[in-house]
Amino acid sequence: MADDIIFELLHSEIINYSIEKFKNNDNGEKETDLSVVEYIGFAAGYKIMERLTREWPRFKDELDTMKFICTDFWTCIYKKQIDNLRTNHQGVYVLQDNAFRFLTNFSNGHQYLEYAPRYVAYTCGLIRGGLANLCINSIVTAEVQSMPSCKFHIHVQRT
Amino acid sequence: MTIYNLYIFDRYGTLLYYGEWNRSKQSGMSIEEEGKLMYGMLFSIKSFVSKISPLDPKDGFSHYKTSKYTLHCLETPSGLKFVMNTDNQAQGVRDLLKKIYAEIYVKYMIRNPLCEMGEPIVSDLFKSKLDLFIKQTPIHTVRAS
Repeated sequence: MADDIIFELLHSEIINYSIEKFKNNDNGEKETDLSVVEYIGFAAGYKIMERLTREWPRFKDELDTMKFICTDFWTCIYKKQIDNLRTNHQGVYVLQDNAFRFLTNFSNGHQYLEYAPRYVAYTCGLIRGGLANLCINSIVTAEVQSMPSCKFHIHVQRT
Repeated sequence: MTIYNLYIFDRYGTLLYYGEWNRSKQSGMSIEEEGKLMYGMLFSIKSFVSKISPLDPKDGFSHYKTSKYTLHCLETPSGLKFVMNTDNQAQGVRDLLKKIYAEIYVKYMIRNPLCEMGEPIVSDLFKSKLDLFIKQTPIHTVRAS
């Protein structure tokens, strides 16, 4: 029962630590460097994908992979599935989670909104890492308009 | 059976939260002074009770009752004090305070990394959940008696 909270606490401390450690004092307060946190997520996602897809056959196409991310991947880490998946079939996917685990305890709307990006950076890295292991190179960004719901935008890079 | 108000103190005596639902008479001093007065009283009465008690105290100070209201106090192992004033017919307030601690305070304060420990609570979500919880308790009924 207490296991979930350990991950949440560890996650928030990683973010606090990275922001303190890599704070660039020359810039103004608005710049917070989240690339470290994103990279930690990338490394974790890369490895966890190996573990999760152990028994699975190859995915038919990209959309199938995205569906896998929305269901099994998300369930494994956040104990629920993605609520909404949209795509334009040109390599852009939008995943919407209406009760994102790290944001549910913050507020029900707009309080603390400016701090929300910090808490989704790790997850962006996680998705990017997972996709990278499946040979899909992408750029993942997130958008939080009103807590606790959150949208992840995945742009697949086709060479 | 009405709940009048609720104070939450941390172990250093800082007033973290004050909520009132049915208070008709104000104390005539600012909320910070009232908080200090309350905390000072609790501190003294706890130490008084533990020294003077003729039997071995199991839980320590739990509540005091006057002819108009009862003041209940729950102290957590981490030194947080939840103090609630209710009328004299309230039952099970200690459990209510335990629930407030476990389900509202821990969930919306501890798990929210943007809320600092030791600072007064500003999270709107905490306030709204607490409000909802208090209004739902069966003992919160305003009877015209």
